[in-house]
Amino acid sequence: MSTLPPNACRLRVRYAKDGRLAYLGHLEVMETIMHSVRRSGLPFEVGNGFAKRMRIQFSQALPVGASSAGEYYDLLLSDPLDADAALEALVGATPAALAPNAAKILPRRVAALEAWANLSCWEVQVRKQGLEAAAFSESLERVRAEGVIHFMRGTKPRQIELGHSLGECEVRDVDGGVDLTLFTRVTERGSLRPAILVNEVCGCMPLRTCRVGQWHENDDGTLVDPLCQA
Amino acid sequence: MRPRREDRFEEIEPLLGMVEHPSRYLDHEWGACPDQSGPFYVCLIYADVYEVGQPNLGLAILYNELNAAEGISCERAYLPWVDMSGLMRERGIPLLSLESSSAVASFDMVGITLAHELVATNIVETLDLAGITIEATKRDEDEPIVVAGGPSAWNCEPVAPMFDAVLLGDGEHVVVRMAQCVREARSAGASRADILLRLSRIPGVYVPSLYDIVVDETSTRWGYAVPRKGTGAPEVVYKHCIGDLASTDPLAQQIVPYMSVVQDRLAVEVLRGCARGCRFCQAGMTYRPVRERPASQVIDAVRDGLAMTGYDECSLSSLSTTDHSECAHMVRALNDELGKEGVRVSIPSQRLDSFGVDMATAVGSSRRAGLTFAPEAGSQRMRDVINKNVTDEDLERAAQNAFASGYRRMKLYFMMGLPTETDDDVVGIPQTALKVIEVGRRMLGPRSKVSVSISVAVFVPKPHTPFQWSGQLPLEEVHRRQQLLLHSAYDRSVRISYHDAETSLLEGALSKMGRKGFELVYEAWRGGCRFDAWTDQFDFDAWRAAAARIGVDLEDVACEEFDVDARLPWDHTSPGVSKGYLQREWRKAMRAEVTPDCTRESCTGCGVCPTLHVQNQVVGERQ
Repeated sequence: MSTLPPNACRLRVRYAKDGRLAYLGHLEVMETIMHSVRRSGLPFEVGNGFAKRMRIQFSQALPVGASSAGEYYDLLLSDPLDADAALEALVGATPAALAPNAAKILPRRVAALEAWANLSCWEVQVRKQGLEAAAFSESLERVRAEGVIHFMRGTKPRQIELGHSLGECEVRDVDGGVDLTLFTRVTERGSLRPAILVNEVCGCMPLRTCRVGQWHENDDGTLVDPLCQA
Repeated sequence: MRPRREDRFEEIEPLLGMVEHPSRYLDHEWGACPDQSGPFYVCLIYADVYEVGQPNLGLAILYNELNAAEGISCERAYLPWVDMSGLMRERGIPLLSLESSSAVASFDMVGITLAHELVATNIVETLDLAGITIEATKRDEDEPIVVAGGPSAWNCEPVAPMFDAVLLGDGEHVVVRMAQCVREARSAGASRADILLRLSRIPGVYVPSLYDIVVDETSTRWGYAVPRKGTGAPEVVYKHCIGDLASTDPLAQQIVPYMSVVQDRLAVEVLRGCARGCRFCQAGMTYRPVRERPASQVIDAVRDGLAMTGYDECSLSSLSTTDHSECAHMVRALNDELGKEGVRVSIPSQRLDSFGVDMATAVGSSRRAGLTFAPEAGSQRMRDVINKNVTDEDLERAAQNAFASGYRRMKLYFMMGLPTETDDDVVGIPQTALKVIEVGRRMLGPRSKVSVSISVAVFVPKPHTPFQWSGQLPLEEVHRRQQLLLHSAYDRSVRISYHDAETSLLEGALSKMGRKGFELVYEAWRGGCRFDAWTDQFDFDAWRAAAARIGVDLEDVACEEFDVDARLPWDHTSPGVSKGYLQREWRKAMRAEVTPDCTRESCTGCGVCPTLHVQNQVVGERQ
């Protein structure tokens, strides 16, 4: 987003990813939202390149199968618009399971959303016979101490360092397994997916994963809500 | 016993994390019809994966028509990819519809698209996964009525035993009549046999089980179909034809998929039918007459469709869009209106002889990277044999217009193995491409980066075309000519690709066989064949083995020439084009004589207009 026309404004939208649409991939979500924006009739900005793409930015990709209560995108509008009116237009043009639930006009120039929102909170359900919170926590601390997880993405070996990317994790016993509240951070070297951590800790994949919040974490540890980015 | 209609999504949900592209199985797309209250339920199926079937315009038309009809609900289903179908079989989950996630076998009527010959084993797989008895004559009274239709219905005999009825021609209106017929008959307590008799009374509907196959000295070894005595079924079933395309909804495609599909754009059908008379082209014979949609209707439909779907690209689709008498005007008007919003307007392929300066300017402003033309053959003699009616001068002029409009890449479609083809004709294919390169370099300089890709298909003789009597080229000869083609191209700016000879041979065999072809299809499916149109899934050895088990040789079948006077396995179904016309065209082909386009010159006597009581509808003047 290098050049901005004089009247352009930045609309930040928070939306959910819910129900069966949790199984959409990030590209599919992006395409669906771009279709929704076009249907909404909002005056979006178009890039000047050959492809003339809509000027829109998304927050960090969610893994396929993960739902979310708070994902974000920034849409550049060619004319200033009331955020509530824009939200109403978007809600009417978006599939219910991806429907926006908040919108705010932000300053025109802010740090790129994908890198700025660097802290995520997840609710994760893990179901495995005999799995208990104490054993899970013990195993989690052992993995944390090792400092790195090696895993396969398709046929390619990958690794993620846990030092900064794995935050706090609260583990609770429930029928048939455990529930987690997990914090992860985006680092320059990648981001930790809950499924990779859970698989490393207890050898199974989560039943359900939901991102319940995203923030920017300042150096002093204070958190900034994406709708309040300045 | 028909299964109960109930939502079974929770049974496949746990599988979604275990398969490729789970978005194939989700439903809830924008524009899908959520109200499925019936009480008569139809499920339309494209027997391939979602991303191939969802963009099909024919299915979209029928989906809308059925859902708009009183008391009828229509859903969609696609064949799950092998990973998902394997898991479903393991867990005893049958094929489910998308909208309500109900078992397909619980529907009152099931419609399957006959998209091409290679979908045959997928149809068996679809019925088997759905738990519907594969052969129509063995179905229980309360099983769904299984119908078919689509471009490959014109020799449906190899798959006909799986269908209770086959719809020939334009499906609008008839599909609703079929559903109403089944509903009324079921309400009246009619037997399955009686329902089929009632369906056979609807013009354009062929009921295979009412016909016997007779093999005698007047026929080929595959025989011909005659109506069973006492059934009242017509000797020849003529296709249903919509006379006025403008009376139909121009905006059929209203569902916006989540995943990337093979044609990921809004498609508006601008005309139906083509009278160019290319002698190899089945669609050119079976979709006649030509019916153009008025330009204003197309422009309004594009505008409304983009607003409704949110697409940023629109395709003006038809068999030959540049033949539309107002094509340049439509493209220009749409580009003027939509270009500033980043919307692209595309045309599937261009006719060489109608790609003038006007068209080049109009299409050029929609920022496409390359242009596609179909000269089909590499020599003038060969183009006259196939009645392509384009010349080297047309090619040169089209190339000049394209390069002048800023294009640097061109794709050319050809065929090899056409009747009377010689090595000179094969060598002429890359030479044609080189002529285009030379035009580009002459106009833009010797170092200009112009390039031409040529794609060469293997000719497959198709029913209801003037070449229906022709044999296909033997495998070994196809391979030899493909090598000749490769070694005749000496410029690196010409890139050559060609179709798989074995796949084409199978397509040819299935195009020629009559009802006996079902034994082959079923045996191949039993041997593990499915998704035969997918290169990584196609197993020619398995098909050969299946053919051997039923006592036929695929090459022998595909390469057989038929006597011009023989009764053919598809003579009882007719698109309205007379056999006499096809015979005349075959003889003219052998003399390399051309036949003009009846929308530009006088009637050529194909027989469609008097037989179907229709006529060409051209809204302006064709150039």
